[in-house]
Amino acid sequence: MSKAKKVLDEAREIRNPEIDLADKAISSFEETPGLLNMTYITRLTLSHNKIKSVPPALANLTNLEILNLTNNHIEELPLSLSSMPKLRILNLAINRLYNLPRGFGAFPVLEVLDLTYNNLNEKSLPGNFFMMETLRALYLGDNDFEYLPPEVKNLKNLQILVLRENDLIELPRELGELTRLRELHVQGNRLTILPPELGNLDMTSNKSVFRFEGNEWVAPIADQLQLGVGHLMEYLRSEAYRITYNRYSTNKPQVPPPCVDKAKKISRIR
Amino acid sequence: MFSKIDLSPSIPSLGSISQSRLFQRRANSKDDLSEEYRSFQDIDYEFIDKSDLQQHGFSRTVTSTMSLDNMLCARCGDGFEPHEKIVNSTGQLWHQQCFVCAQCFQEFDDGIFYEYDDRKYCERDFQILFAPCCGKCNNFIIGRVIKAMNASWHPECFRCEMCETELADTGFIKNAGRALCHECNAKVKAIGSGKHVCHKCHALIDDKPLKFRGEMYHPYHFNCTNCGVELDYTAREVRSRPGFAANDMNELYCLRCHDKMGIPICGACRRPIEERVVTALGKHWHVEHFVCAKCEKPFFGHRHYEKKGLAYCETHYHQLFGNLCFVCNQVIAGDVFTALNKAWCVHHFACSVCDQKMNQKTKFYECDLKPVCKKCYDKFPTELRRRLKRQHEAMPQRKAATPT
Repeated sequence: MSKAKKVLDEAREIRNPEIDLADKAISSFEETPGLLNMTYITRLTLSHNKIKSVPPALANLTNLEILNLTNNHIEELPLSLSSMPKLRILNLAINRLYNLPRGFGAFPVLEVLDLTYNNLNEKSLPGNFFMMETLRALYLGDNDFEYLPPEVKNLKNLQILVLRENDLIELPRELGELTRLRELHVQGNRLTILPPELGNLDMTSNKSVFRFEGNEWVAPIADQLQLGVGHLMEYLRSEAYRITYNRYSTNKPQVPPPCVDKAKKISRIR
Repeated sequence: MFSKIDLSPSIPSLGSISQSRLFQRRANSKDDLSEEYRSFQDIDYEFIDKSDLQQHGFSRTVTSTMSLDNMLCARCGDGFEPHEKIVNSTGQLWHQQCFVCAQCFQEFDDGIFYEYDDRKYCERDFQILFAPCCGKCNNFIIGRVIKAMNASWHPECFRCEMCETELADTGFIKNAGRALCHECNAKVKAIGSGKHVCHKCHALIDDKPLKFRGEMYHPYHFNCTNCGVELDYTAREVRSRPGFAANDMNELYCLRCHDKMGIPICGACRRPIEERVVTALGKHWHVEHFVCAKCEKPFFGHRHYEKKGLAYCETHYHQLFGNLCFVCNQVIAGDVFTALNKAWCVHHFACSVCDQKMNQKTKFYECDLKPVCKKCYDKFPTELRRRLKRQHEAMPQRKAATPT
């Protein structure tokens, strides 16, 4: 009997709604007999396995609130996933996603979406990606974004946005409309300037985090960051910066080269 | 003309009269007109009433002692026969058959006639021809006539259009085509100008009114129940309560006395609290005015949370001050794990990769401000770990995050 089957039998016996199948050497859902019939479960953790594809029937688990597929080999997702009525937390970090299915943004109640360490960029996002109004945390670190679509402003409830170690060249001005944002990670990108609207965000309270290291900031921004985030935010709001920003917008600073660091990402292995 | 004395005693058969408005009204009227006369004060018709007749003119005399030669009938101009009955009225003499109504040529009933334009009419014809009609009941007006609003009225028919009080003796005010008494006119004006009318003196309240037992008044009509001082608009109405007011009706107190009575004042609306009092944040509150500073819903006895002099409901206190669990997004009741700029409830403080529960003693790594247990971190791709490590070292002034 496989380890996975043993866990499932035990869980069925006590009707445990939370299924832990982390690191069980599973490479396919065929190795988890009956799992897709356990419609009462609320959490399914399948981290550290070798799952390549997710069957559409997974969406039969209509009571599922947390689905954790971190560190697998997933290359493709079924469209049905986004119709799961109670799914609040979806963790797809460390996989091999180059694309998301069309209509992926239709999740009715999704709050946390972790897509860290995949191969996504602005072109691989479906049109409705930023329609997930219930989203409070979006993790896109370790991907290949060069631009963030301005539609990001639709994520009105977003509190956490992670863009660590992408290839971002610019941030959209619309980011300044995410008034509830209190964590913004943009370290390790190719950023040089910041939109003045970012000054509207409350990034200076003790509940806020702004991570910015590892970018090639223009001198005025680098100087303010040296003094602290509070100084930077004040500077972004100033008339002086508005003029500076306009000048940089017409006469763009040289785009730094892509980060070579990520070339060895295992997510690239096809 | 005189020979027509044998005409029927009914209404004269003059076409113009039978077509007239007066005539038609007369025909509709059920009143008989034989009621006693009263004096016409408001119009200039001349009339002679019964008592006048008895006192002054109109006596039938036999003129034996007078010279008949120089006595002529005022109507036909002929002389009088000896022993003929002569009518003497208002200094003129008449043949008996000449002393008749100018309209119907009948003798006057009871000798009562009306004179108009030097002609004499019987009562019936006078009314038909000349008497005014009431603008309300359409009946002839005998006695006092009120002329107003382009019509004539019985005094008892001319009333305020709002409250129906008689206006004949009090006078009236024309307001938008209506006749109103002074009070109703003031009320209408007050409503139009957004002001109140004093419930006592019915005059307009120009300054701030005083509300008492549901009505508006000039404050100066009242005195403080306690000290007797004349009140102004700041006076307070106090519901009776043991030791403060004798009866079960509200009483008025000046502000000074009111404050001395020790009635708590609501910290929100600044009005006295007469029912349940909530005491919190060092102030008193109406139950319905003690509300969450964020959603403004009253607590109604539910638990509230205080922060910087403000009160919050459980949900908004945690939403604002960060004690929502990162996983379940619910308010954390009981112990709170705080780390990585986030909070967790006891059930949900777990590794973000394998979902295994952690406690205060569990060591964990931080990745994008999410907790990762050591076992999971060791399974991360080597190159990712290397980058995270390098980044971690580059991070300025980092403190080790531990759950509390």
